[in-house]
Amino acid sequence: MSVSQAIAAGDVALLPSRRDEDWRWTDLRGLIRAMPPVSPASERRFEAGAFGDGDVLMVNGVVRGDVEALIVPAGERRTVRLRVIADTSHTAHGADLSVSVGEAGELTLLESYEGLGEGYLTETRLNLSVDAGGRLERIVLAADAADAVAVSTATVVLAKGARFEQTTLTTGARRQRLETRIAHPGEGATVRMDAGYLLDGQRHADLTTAVAHEGVGGETSQLTKGIVRDQARGVFQGRIVVEKGADKTDARMGHHALILSEKAEIDAKPELLIYADDVSCAHGNTIGALDEDALFYARQRGIPDAQARAMLAEAFVGEVVDRIANDEARDVARQWVATHLGAV
Amino acid sequence: MVAVKQTVEHVESLEAYKHGFITDIDQEFAPKGLNADIVRFISAKKDEPEWMLQWRLEAFERWLAMEEPTWAKVNFPRIDYQDAYYYAAPKAKDGPMSLDEVDPELLATYAKLGIPLKEQEVLAGVQGAPKYAVDAVFDSVSVVTTFKKELAAVGVIFCSMSEAIREHPELVKKYLGSVVPTSDNYFACLNSAVFSDGSFVYVPPGVRCPMELSTYFRINAAESGQFERTLIIVDKGAYVSYLEGCTAPMRDENQLHAAVVELVALEDAEIKYSTVQNWYPGDPKTGKGGIYNFVTKRADCRGDRSKVSWTQVETGSAVTWKYPSCVLRGNDSSGEFYSIAVTNGFQQADTGTKMIHLGANTKSRIISKGISAGKSSNTYRGLVSAHPKAKGARNFTQCDSLLIGKDCAAHTVPYVEARNGQSVFEHEATTTRLSDDQLFYVMQRGLNQEEAVALLVNGFVKDVLQQLPMEFAVEAQKLVAISLEGSVG
Repeated sequence: MSVSQAIAAGDVALLPSRRDEDWRWTDLRGLIRAMPPVSPASERRFEAGAFGDGDVLMVNGVVRGDVEALIVPAGERRTVRLRVIADTSHTAHGADLSVSVGEAGELTLLESYEGLGEGYLTETRLNLSVDAGGRLERIVLAADAADAVAVSTATVVLAKGARFEQTTLTTGARRQRLETRIAHPGEGATVRMDAGYLLDGQRHADLTTAVAHEGVGGETSQLTKGIVRDQARGVFQGRIVVEKGADKTDARMGHHALILSEKAEIDAKPELLIYADDVSCAHGNTIGALDEDALFYARQRGIPDAQARAMLAEAFVGEVVDRIANDEARDVARQWVATHLGAV
Repeated sequence: MVAVKQTVEHVESLEAYKHGFITDIDQEFAPKGLNADIVRFISAKKDEPEWMLQWRLEAFERWLAMEEPTWAKVNFPRIDYQDAYYYAAPKAKDGPMSLDEVDPELLATYAKLGIPLKEQEVLAGVQGAPKYAVDAVFDSVSVVTTFKKELAAVGVIFCSMSEAIREHPELVKKYLGSVVPTSDNYFACLNSAVFSDGSFVYVPPGVRCPMELSTYFRINAAESGQFERTLIIVDKGAYVSYLEGCTAPMRDENQLHAAVVELVALEDAEIKYSTVQNWYPGDPKTGKGGIYNFVTKRADCRGDRSKVSWTQVETGSAVTWKYPSCVLRGNDSSGEFYSIAVTNGFQQADTGTKMIHLGANTKSRIISKGISAGKSSNTYRGLVSAHPKAKGARNFTQCDSLLIGKDCAAHTVPYVEARNGQSVFEHEATTTRLSDDQLFYVMQRGLNQEEAVALLVNGFVKDVLQQLPMEFAVEAQKLVAISLEGSVG
């Protein structure tokens, strides 16, 4: 069951539903009654996106130019702007792309999801691999249309001593799922995987992650923060698996969310599945409203209520942005958060 | 390596599961298998009114249409529901029994298990020791309930479920199945069809039950299952503390225990429910035998300001699959769940709780300590949810897992669903192994390895042990230590 299969077969029955445990809070089968037609090709030129003009464009499920895969040769350093654009309305498309980083290579992948149409259905699948000693930092800014259904699935394989860093920031969609699956088969691979979601209206965002530690001495540090208001719904599903023999694993996962209205909703499932004993794993999950004491303090200092709320919200999500390693990307992300917080 | 050898010998010499004996007693059985006639047979044996039989038959019909769930992180061969006895009882003459009429073999069994069935024995204990009343359930029937008269004097009803159906049908009709509906889940539905006995408690308004109530469940017969049903109703402003214990003989076959426990707390009522579960866990070396403990336990905090506290010490059973839950319906009601789950050998446990916040300002607290050793697997699975109307809901959850050995597994699977902007939920979980430094330090002080492990583990679970009634806390502490014997070295 996957969105791609459903699009390929034109069969709604293949869409994931609440009955699939991993999709219990993101029901697509119940939402989509009939499969939309396949998206048409688009030759349009686009204005600059969040990260400027793109190096690689995927428009309506088609990769422009002769790009078959993004490959960073061993020892080299690259920055690639990848724009995934839905320039269509009420149609469906899927796209795949492979990204590989050679030994001791480095890639900064600046990825933006841009919904220019309405009511589209899409799945983007990325296969990423990082060879020994390589490094990949992926910054994702997702701005889908409010009534779109968008799924993005990234599968990551890390070799010995590889480092993977990811920050995903999103404003959601009618249903949106940003899924990352990481396997650490190599010794000493390290992962930082963060996300922030800012949702209003009837938007929904589902941040699903699965990290499998298979090699010795792997590290995972994960922080997800979200703010929801109106009737929005934020979903976080994080799974860390430590396989037998993956000793000396250090894994930490945190998910913290603020609900700023009466009817918004947060659903969370932070899982730890541990099959090795010499490990140190922890997760924390908190859900609540803005701290009344902090608001009181700010007001007492003469800061108007609305501004105080905005400050607290920005500081709350700011923690995720601060962890971005690439300076340029961090500035863009900070600006992006400020713009979208204005709406929230 | 002499020390290691000594430890191994010491462990081998221990009687790991001391409740594993079989009582040789004349028993009568229902024919093997499960069909509507067996349901009728059980109902007839219990001399039940027609409405009860209909209730059971309806449940049986529904059960036939249900599928056995498979979502838990446990593995076991498919259960053949036709290859078991659904009713087994010590042969007895008709009518209610006084203690003098109870088979001496049975009394000896309970004496051996350390359960006081004679009221004078309880009284003859240490001076000033608190009294506690016992309902003893042996396979499918309750054999004796103590202190009934003393309890009746303050209006507390404490009797077996069969007796309650006969003597207090209005209460049973009103509350049975009101917390765990017949078709709630596969095993609860099976229980509704074939439940045999269990305890019934009613505490009238404003009464603080003068003593601890307890039920002791014993499976004895081979190839049988135990399906007890417990119903506790605590009326406005009343309080009761209830304990349950359970053991079974060592057998090579797996036996099913599918109980249903329903608690109802009305306004300002409080229920404290403690369990020390020590069913036979199966052979620690081969994993053969042991009880499948698939239990549905749920409390309904129906009244405002009501409170239910679950405390469980799970050391036994081959496979445990249970989630004692609280439905926090009344405003300002609160639920607590304190759990220690120890798995060793080939045991598997998938246990936790559900805290369903429906009323305003409801509070819940979950403290779960899981310890896995040997080749076992231990999962905490829990749900905390707040309904849109549950303004001001508050939950704190802490789940810690401790791993002892290379071949065991520990999992934490919490679900959190917040559906309003005024609730505060906090959850934290850690998984670590027993610290080498701590072990080294304690052993340096002269404790052997087993004692050192027991000491550290007791420190790990202390927050939960403190919630148990005193007599149980001591027993539970020993039980945790015994369950872990042989896990290190």
